[in-house]
Amino acid sequence: MGFRLYLIKRLINTAILLVFVIILNFAIFELLPGTQGSIANLIQNPRVSPDALKHLEIVYGICSGFDAGGKCIPASVWTKFTVYFTRMITFNFGVSQQTGDPVLYDIVNSGRLVNTLLLLGVSTAVALVIGIFLGVIAASRRGSLFDSSSVVVSLTTFSLPTFFIGLVLILVFAAILGWFPGGGVTPSTAEWIKGQVPLTEQILVRMKYLFLPALTLTMFFYGGNLLLTRATMTEALTEDYITTARAKGLPERTVLFKHALKNASLPIVTNAALSFGTILSGAIITETVFNWDGMGSWLFKAIGWHDFPVMQAVFYIIALCVIGANLVSDILYGMIDPRIKYE
Amino acid sequence: MPFWLVRLKNFLATLLKNKLAATGVVFLLFFVVVALGAPILTPYTPSRDVVSGRFDAPAWISYVNGPTGYSQNLAFSVLSINQSGSGLNVQRSAQTASSVDLSVLSSPQGGTIQVVETLAYPYLGPPKWMGGDAKFSVSGITTGESFLVSGYIERAGEYKYPVWLPTVVNRSDTYSPHPSIDSTVRDFNQQLGINSNFDAASFIFAPRKANYNYVLQFTLPPGFTGKIQVTQFSLVLYGNTWGLFGTDSQGYDILTQLVYGARLSLIIGLVATGISIGLGLVIGLMAGYLGKIVDEVLMRFTDMLLVIPTLPLLIVLVATIGPSLFYIILFLGFFGWMGFARVIRAQVLTLRERPFIEAAKAAGAGTGYITVRHVFPNIVSLTYVSLALSVPGAIVGEAALSFLGLGDPNTTTWGQMLGRANEAGINTANLAWWWIVPPGLAIAILSLSFVLLGYALDEMFNPKLRRRR
Repeated sequence: MGFRLYLIKRLINTAILLVFVIILNFAIFELLPGTQGSIANLIQNPRVSPDALKHLEIVYGICSGFDAGGKCIPASVWTKFTVYFTRMITFNFGVSQQTGDPVLYDIVNSGRLVNTLLLLGVSTAVALVIGIFLGVIAASRRGSLFDSSSVVVSLTTFSLPTFFIGLVLILVFAAILGWFPGGGVTPSTAEWIKGQVPLTEQILVRMKYLFLPALTLTMFFYGGNLLLTRATMTEALTEDYITTARAKGLPERTVLFKHALKNASLPIVTNAALSFGTILSGAIITETVFNWDGMGSWLFKAIGWHDFPVMQAVFYIIALCVIGANLVSDILYGMIDPRIKYE
Repeated sequence: MPFWLVRLKNFLATLLKNKLAATGVVFLLFFVVVALGAPILTPYTPSRDVVSGRFDAPAWISYVNGPTGYSQNLAFSVLSINQSGSGLNVQRSAQTASSVDLSVLSSPQGGTIQVVETLAYPYLGPPKWMGGDAKFSVSGITTGESFLVSGYIERAGEYKYPVWLPTVVNRSDTYSPHPSIDSTVRDFNQQLGINSNFDAASFIFAPRKANYNYVLQFTLPPGFTGKIQVTQFSLVLYGNTWGLFGTDSQGYDILTQLVYGARLSLIIGLVATGISIGLGLVIGLMAGYLGKIVDEVLMRFTDMLLVIPTLPLLIVLVATIGPSLFYIILFLGFFGWMGFARVIRAQVLTLRERPFIEAAKAAGAGTGYITVRHVFPNIVSLTYVSLALSVPGAIVGEAALSFLGLGDPNTTTWGQMLGRANEAGINTANLAWWWIVPPGLAIAILSLSFVLLGYALDEMFNPKLRRRR
């Protein structure tokens, strides 16, 4: 019962957050001076016929109708907002100004969402595994050289800006040593564009292109995990049941991972889900540095083009992902923390 | 000695006992000194003064790799006049390093006048760019009279390179070489017979020690009289190395950009964090002390803002409103207060139940008085720590925005340096590590020093973290 009530409360919270994000998006893109939102560029575009423009103006809620002379009756803020709200809920983001395609197509069908998720997924997984593993070892050897050096290294990579790590990696591994390509998702040769490359070779080459960006993002993210794991593990290792486990003669590995880590993992898990927003920001920068065709670099290009439909779509999706990650973290918290389950 | 001074001394002594904190303080002081002493450290204006060729490596690399292949900035100097032709009477006056006035009083059989500057080229590498001028004005020339002017660079005893093909001068006017003497001008290269893949500077100046003369020659016909005023006669070479940190893709000095960038980073970090801490204090205090509804509303609001991903929001805001340093600092400050507000609120909630607060209330103290005189001094130590730990966030946040090209175009911050380096194609063509590594390291070390300071302050003020020594 405790868990179900908790879940309902969190779902309501998520819904409120969703509405808030849409309001925020609306405020930035539709209300701020200097932006007319979705069809800003189309207004000056000579290739858009006046009738099409009128239709779009109604669809996007800019005009609530047209008077006898064909002039636009400006819509009230409330009308604008309801139109906007409906569009956001139904994922109708309009048409991109750069490519002329619907924005949803540009994000999903052209593979950008998948690219970003691939980069994020691999980096997060590796950073979690490495960070937790090294953190456990550092906690078990508190005060040793390994401990202090891993803390210092983590703090350093944590302070280094992501793009700096990326640039240096490109400089060393791509430009000087030539081991890895300097950017892109796939090579731009003819076979690749036509999609005629065999599957095994595809996977190998894609992994080669994924390596440096994933390494950058992992280096950025693992430090926080290591420090948090070390802190929670240190606290957990002082408990009495650990002494009991050791007295029972269990191997140290079992004591550390099966007993201590399980109990210390709660803050780590919730932190990992909550820092999804940070890792997304890191992904945006990494994608820009490595020219990785994903949501982040797409947002960046959209800014250069003043492509507002894309900008608000990407921002909205990113906010959705973060809210989703928070919800997942809350659910996991509810499942793992026995205090909630047995309330 | 006044008491507050004693307390400050004790505080500093305790702080500096921690080795990590001492390192952090030393680094921080270094950056502050560099930032304040910027005009002393470098005479140039960042991103405005072209000091040398583009993508110049640092000058000390010639000591590391050996002198072969490297050169530095040089200029031709020591102006002298040669003349030949019997009966030629030329008076010179007002001679400086790059100008001279010549009055041809009589030239019964014509003759030549040469204005010469010399250079002993000492480097084992070619220069990256050459440029100069040979401007002169003629007066006192009568109609029908004319003479020839030409210019060349001569490697002593070897070859003459024409930089100004023989041109007829028949009017009183001011003349300059055309095409201009600039090795980036294609016509200039072409008249030397070089195709576009080569640079006139490295073509003319061989990478070995040799003597060069830069000659402006006037060939006078018989009977010519007149005045020739040479006003700007100079030739400058840019080497392929420069200074402590080299140059960027426009030839701007990187050390200058680093040094002035320190000012900007410190200002941005401290001001944005100041705004965050201020907002966080006020909101945390209100939520913690006023309780119930105010608390609930404020905390919901904080949670909502925490969910919004900061960097995309900042990107979008700056892209729509426009990049200006003021707005960047403002936005960074407005989105950094949430964590701090929570911490303050938690602390105020525990303080609220303490007996001394109850006593103050019983004595008739109002909410404002209690907040300022009793609650605040007990949480001010949290402020120091949060201040130290939030500054790196602001600095790196601004660096990220500048890297993406959203920085204020009138400034040159470290993040913008990295952004420009990325745009200039570091990863493929030019390998200008001296452009990437210094700003990135500077950001990292500045952030690290604040983090170390923050952790040390945390250990000092938070008794739970004190380790038994």
